[in-house]
Amino acid sequence: MAATMELSCWGGDWGLPSLHPESLTVMAYAKFSGAPLKVNTISNSWRAPKGDIPVLISEDIVISQPAKILNFLRKQKYNADYGLSAKQGADTLAYIALLEEKLLPALLHTFWVEAENYCSVTKPWFASSIAFPLSLYLPGKMSREALNRILLTRGGPPPYSLSEVEAQIYRDAKECLNLLSKSLGTSQFFFGHTPSTLDAFVFGFLAPIYKVCFPRLQLQEHLKQLPNLCRFCDDILSCYFRLTVSGHSPGLDIADANMQKLTQLVNKESNLIEKMDDNLRKSPQHPSRKLRTLKLAAGGEESSPLNRLSP
Amino acid sequence: LLLSTAAEPWPENAALYQQLKEDQILLSDNASSLAVQAFLQMCNLPIQVVCRANAEYMSPSGKLPFIHVGNQVVSELGPIVQFVKAKGHSLSDGLDEVQKAEMKAYMELVNNMLLTAELYLQWCDDVTVEEITHPRYGSPYPWPLNRILSYQKQWEVRRKMKAIGWAGKTLDQVLEDVDQCCQALSQRLGTQPYFFNKQPTELDALVFGHLFTILTTQLITDELSEKVKNYSNLTAFCRRIEQQYFEGHDKDSPAPVTSRSAKRSLLR
Repeated sequence: MAATMELSCWGGDWGLPSLHPESLTVMAYAKFSGAPLKVNTISNSWRAPKGDIPVLISEDIVISQPAKILNFLRKQKYNADYGLSAKQGADTLAYIALLEEKLLPALLHTFWVEAENYCSVTKPWFASSIAFPLSLYLPGKMSREALNRILLTRGGPPPYSLSEVEAQIYRDAKECLNLLSKSLGTSQFFFGHTPSTLDAFVFGFLAPIYKVCFPRLQLQEHLKQLPNLCRFCDDILSCYFRLTVSGHSPGLDIADANMQKLTQLVNKESNLIEKMDDNLRKSPQHPSRKLRTLKLAAGGEESSPLNRLSP
Repeated sequence: LLLSTAAEPWPENAALYQQLKEDQILLSDNASSLAVQAFLQMCNLPIQVVCRANAEYMSPSGKLPFIHVGNQVVSELGPIVQFVKAKGHSLSDGLDEVQKAEMKAYMELVNNMLLTAELYLQWCDDVTVEEITHPRYGSPYPWPLNRILSYQKQWEVRRKMKAIGWAGKTLDQVLEDVDQCCQALSQRLGTQPYFFNKQPTELDALVFGHLFTILTTQLITDELSEKVKNYSNLTAFCRRIEQQYFEGHDKDSPAPVTSRSAKRSLLR
């Protein structure tokens, strides 16, 4: 316990201590269990990350993968599951499996595969965190690995349609979010008043979806309809990470809400216009051109507030 | 489309397709097939088990088993449960929302840990692959097709293992995971007859399918089945379901876990 433990992980943004679900899980667990971790976020000047992130280094021991790191912390007597019953321990394992099977593919897709999201947000962010020339190579590799994982675990035998797979994984993810919301109910954490391993995992998966501002927001919109999950994330951020609420001005949150309203209005308008166009289908080319220019205008309005907000 | 099929009652000639029972089928496919059979038995829906060497290629998703009902073909337990529900039969209607969430989570646990461990053992453990899997998988086909098909499948499964991070695991670590999974299932089951007390659900069918198959399949070593045997309530659970839903049916009864001195070997 006297040995210092260092955690290397991806850094954060948009009010989160990290953008990476696995890094976030480990950081949250460390906070819950009181483990003194020295967190090193990967930055430009640091040595190139190799192998899995996050990585825990304690004296000579190097451990990767969240489950193993958490096991190690527990063995060092930093146990957040102390008060759980046997059934709750079993439930933890089951819900983590649910997260990995049903939510993770959509999360990976939102970050790494969805073209607009990847090109405008994910790639630039990760590239800026890594030293050149690895920054040219690593984001692409992570993107390919994510797509690979999605296709191998969820794709059917060829010929399959990628859009069908995408539709299915988002359906599953939304169902998973609904199930989590029902399980959480009105309690503060999943098993009562103190957070445990499951809370760390759920937080790790949900917080990036909740906070990161992507152009394609499917999953985030669904999550925002489940207020108890949003409250869960905010509670952990404010109690254990003390970043968002005090670190950013409330003005930013108001701006966020305004932009959300604007996005909703613009989406409604473009839906109405699409309906009108379907009805007035006289000259096919004209309506679609009008639609395209309108969408571009909508996109322009959306993207500039986004650029202003992102640090 | 779903409305029109829902109106049709369950036909007498509904069939479940899997690979050849004696020579070809592997541990993981046998477990999945048994799970579906158990589920349908619990719903009181009659089904004929049909064995075909090319069942894997007939399946719409490439995964087994699949059922052929009327003019619909549905594969894998999840979609089959939904299909049966559309026809008006369901085992989980009596559960509240939180219980349904738990049920789905535990089903994912079985898929995530048990099924993946079975696949690992079959396709990534070199001894098992050489002595059991390769001879069995391609057995209906002549040389060299049998070797080509099984190498192709092995490559596919190993790719998947690599993508989900299991390729680096040793056999001991995989067995550790199986133990953890069984421990969780055992703790959840406790002293109840089924996972949600009095009535079985699709979760019970899935757990039965996998655990019973592990217990009654002869592999290179007994390590896998020993992990399950450590938990007496799980073995009692398997026995209970077998007695209730499979004994007394002539077609395709799985061998009893106790009594007979020679374990009926599903492999070898």
